[in-house]
Amino acid sequence: MEKHPLAGWRGTLLHVDLSTGKSRAETIPRELLLGYLGGRGLGVRLCREAYTLDPFHPDMPLLFAVGPLCGTPAPTAARLAAVSRSPLTDTIYDCSAGGRFSHRLKAAGFDALRIVGRSPRPVALGITPEGAETLPAEALWGKTVGETVRALEGRGSVAAIGPAGENGVLFASILMGEGNAIGRGGLGAVMGGKNLKAIVVNGDRATGIADRGRFDRARQDVMRLFRASPVIFGELGISEYGTPALVDLMRQRRMAPTENFRKTVFEGSGNYSGPAIRKAYGAKNDGCFGCPIQCKKSDRDGMHLPEYETVSHFGALNGIDDLRAIVRSNALCNELGMDTISAAATLAAWGEGRGRFPGAGEVETLLADIGYRRGDGDLLARGSRRVAEALGNPALSMSVKSLELPAYDPRGAYGMALAYCTSNRGGCHLRAYPISHEILRKPVATDRFSLSGKARIIKIAEDTNAAVDSLVACKFSFFGATLEEYAELLAAVTGEEYGPQSLKEIGERIYLTERYYNCANGFDAKDDRLPERFFREPGSGGEGIEIPPIDEKRFEEELQKYYRIRGLTPQGTFPDSDFLSRLP
Amino acid sequence: MRDQIAKYAGKLFSDLSAVPGRIAFAAQDDVMLSDGNPTLARLCERVLSSLSCLGLVAARPSLPFADFLVRRAGAGESRIVPQDTETRTFLHDIPFLRREELGKDAAARIAGLLGNRKGIIAEGVGVVAAGTVTVEQAYINYSSVFHAAFVKYLLDVLTEGFLLPGEKEAFESFRRDWLRPLSAEGLVFRGGPLEEPEDILKEVSAVGRYTVERGLVDSFFGNLSCRAGDTIYISQTAASLDELAGRIDPVPMDNSSTTGITASTELLAHRRIYEESGARTVLHGHPKFAVVMSMLCEEKDCPVKDCWKDCDKVRLLGDTPVVAGEIGAGGLAKRVPPVIASPRKAVVYGHGVFTVGRTDFAEAFQSMIDVENWCRMEYFRRLTAKPPG
Repeated sequence: MEKHPLAGWRGTLLHVDLSTGKSRAETIPRELLLGYLGGRGLGVRLCREAYTLDPFHPDMPLLFAVGPLCGTPAPTAARLAAVSRSPLTDTIYDCSAGGRFSHRLKAAGFDALRIVGRSPRPVALGITPEGAETLPAEALWGKTVGETVRALEGRGSVAAIGPAGENGVLFASILMGEGNAIGRGGLGAVMGGKNLKAIVVNGDRATGIADRGRFDRARQDVMRLFRASPVIFGELGISEYGTPALVDLMRQRRMAPTENFRKTVFEGSGNYSGPAIRKAYGAKNDGCFGCPIQCKKSDRDGMHLPEYETVSHFGALNGIDDLRAIVRSNALCNELGMDTISAAATLAAWGEGRGRFPGAGEVETLLADIGYRRGDGDLLARGSRRVAEALGNPALSMSVKSLELPAYDPRGAYGMALAYCTSNRGGCHLRAYPISHEILRKPVATDRFSLSGKARIIKIAEDTNAAVDSLVACKFSFFGATLEEYAELLAAVTGEEYGPQSLKEIGERIYLTERYYNCANGFDAKDDRLPERFFREPGSGGEGIEIPPIDEKRFEEELQKYYRIRGLTPQGTFPDSDFLSRLP
Repeated sequence: MRDQIAKYAGKLFSDLSAVPGRIAFAAQDDVMLSDGNPTLARLCERVLSSLSCLGLVAARPSLPFADFLVRRAGAGESRIVPQDTETRTFLHDIPFLRREELGKDAAARIAGLLGNRKGIIAEGVGVVAAGTVTVEQAYINYSSVFHAAFVKYLLDVLTEGFLLPGEKEAFESFRRDWLRPLSAEGLVFRGGPLEEPEDILKEVSAVGRYTVERGLVDSFFGNLSCRAGDTIYISQTAASLDELAGRIDPVPMDNSSTTGITASTELLAHRRIYEESGARTVLHGHPKFAVVMSMLCEEKDCPVKDCWKDCDKVRLLGDTPVVAGEIGAGGLAKRVPPVIASPRKAVVYGHGVFTVGRTDFAEAFQSMIDVENWCRMEYFRRLTAKPPG
């Protein structure tokens, strides 16, 4: 194999065919690394030959891709993206996670791991610098994530599915050994469909840095901005309280989704606020490997504590104010390998449909039923859209493109409303993350009740975050730092010149590639739709804040603006069919 | 967006940072908008069309310091590196284009630099700054470049003297025509101690506006707070101090709620100041002469290189203590509270001034005026005592 000329990247992917049990190392063309960076971008590009395949088709690849900053001390960069087609949304789908697994995959000598095929029997994969080894895993099939990790962690860092992934729960997740989740979109079900229970990776190769002095200066710049950010290192910020620091703020802004988004204030939310969790559990730092922010928290015994979306959806969205029950629900989802947001939102849609939200004591039983597909759990395992359709009331599903909305009510932040619709992977807050400026005032504040300018802002943010997901860095870094500092880190590591503008152009390429894939699979403007509730019903106004329904006509105008800015047709599709051929 | 352009063009005029008639903005939504000086507006449109940003400003600064810095820079240099906190933290450095480098396609050259930095200097044109998210952000970046250039030029003049034809005359014009007497005259403060939330919110808003009107802060920097019982009422992060209505967070002293996650970066410093000084109000601004003077150190053979964060000495500007420390969680919150209790004022190296009031904002505001006036007087005394050039 030819030696790759680039610093920062390995220039190599490991291809594994589970149908044959064979694997091989492949050189990744230089132009793909320069043009898609790694992580999400590289993973999406490597799906170009397969994006129309069914998510459970054996030839549909499941990719794990790290970025050029992984393996260096760049802040928050020990991450990877998993990419495939989602069985929940049918869109192309990427999901990012931190942890040692990414670091060790890079240290094993690979920028990406591409898994195709379907093993005839349950297996695990062992990855080392020498390549891939198929390990029998019949004994692990049926085990929880924790049991699986404990069985394999002696060989390296583990990524595993739980019973939910084995049983095809459409929102099954993949968990890293330290508890980081490739949470959303059901990629755990894709992994389970390949009869792949776990991957364990080890390696010790260092990642070189082309210009160490430049790197150190850029890193200092990033850390200075972290320290200057109240959201990151402020005494009320996420480093102190984890993301549940947002509970009180969302309550105060009257945009905490409550009872399946029928209301936007939950009076019991103080029971699971950041300070309440700290008081009850201690909330010690247990964040991602190598991350200075450490927003993930655990209790005194090492049990992972839930994040904002999880406490809010197992709390307000289902009308539950019992912190202990919420923490147990989170732990159970992690053991079964299920996305907490979709699980809780599916329960809420189902609860509204049957006229009664599940109580604190009922949720755990239902979650187990979902994971093992028993009783009502068999239907609930298909996500809220399919549940609502089965109940004969599709409007109950608070989702976009079948992905359940997270814990920011769109009536309280209009940019967020638009971004839910334009997100290529469905109702996700992290594609453009307008909460950053509409609520958290970073980098500057925008009017959360105005759509003015939001189409352009969302487009720029989507491009920016596509680049961030490809570096791969954590979105929370950008509550303080900007692409300016991360471009400098990238240039220092790789020896290639990048700037914020060039990174945004790469992000645009990635975003449009995803959109193109989705359009080829039948997605268009009809799928860029919020649930009707948000245009018809108000939220819970009060304390001088009104939460009216979103003006649908004005919203549609801004969506059309967005399409024009993106160069799309009024139907949200591509004006030509050879778009991909113009890209590297 | 046109209202935003009009608003921030007005701010550049009222804060004396740009020459009236030589200001232009552009903003792009699904169409490109621009307004202001026609030549600059065309330039703005062309630059912005090459950038993935929402807004752009190009304006001629009201002082020629940025151009002087470019002309004073060595032949091989392409950027200036001011040492003030705003530059160190947010701008890093300020690239420039010399007049002869602008060439036939100035827009392309400017866009090339703005693809990597928030603001740049184009000699003979002015300062050009971009805003990724809003027009306001472009204004903020312009303002930061103006502030950084002001601070660096005054420091350079004091240490190196006038080097170019016309500099001395321009500097005298600046002192004579641009600088205005600084006082609290005509301002009305509510007598303290303030206890009622409604009174506090109104007073914090009013004093924030005074701070901007008297030139004690630039763009959206600076912050202020008032303590009543167990609550600190503090301006939000990234809030312009002249627009604080609805942008003041009540934060419990015991951190029992995290709604204050949107509070000023300096919340921790304010809290510790209250704990150590017993004050009722805290005011933090970036008055320019205090920033300049804080960066003058006569220590010989000092081993500290990154003075702005690593210096652990307490120096004095008159009777005002000067300490080092990064903003936010980086050190300022540790070093300011111990020195501010007695003099009720402190300067942070290269950054700005903190003052406190025992009952209300009148004392804190007057104290900041006094610090800045002392620093202004001392700057010109030193300039006169050791004539540059």
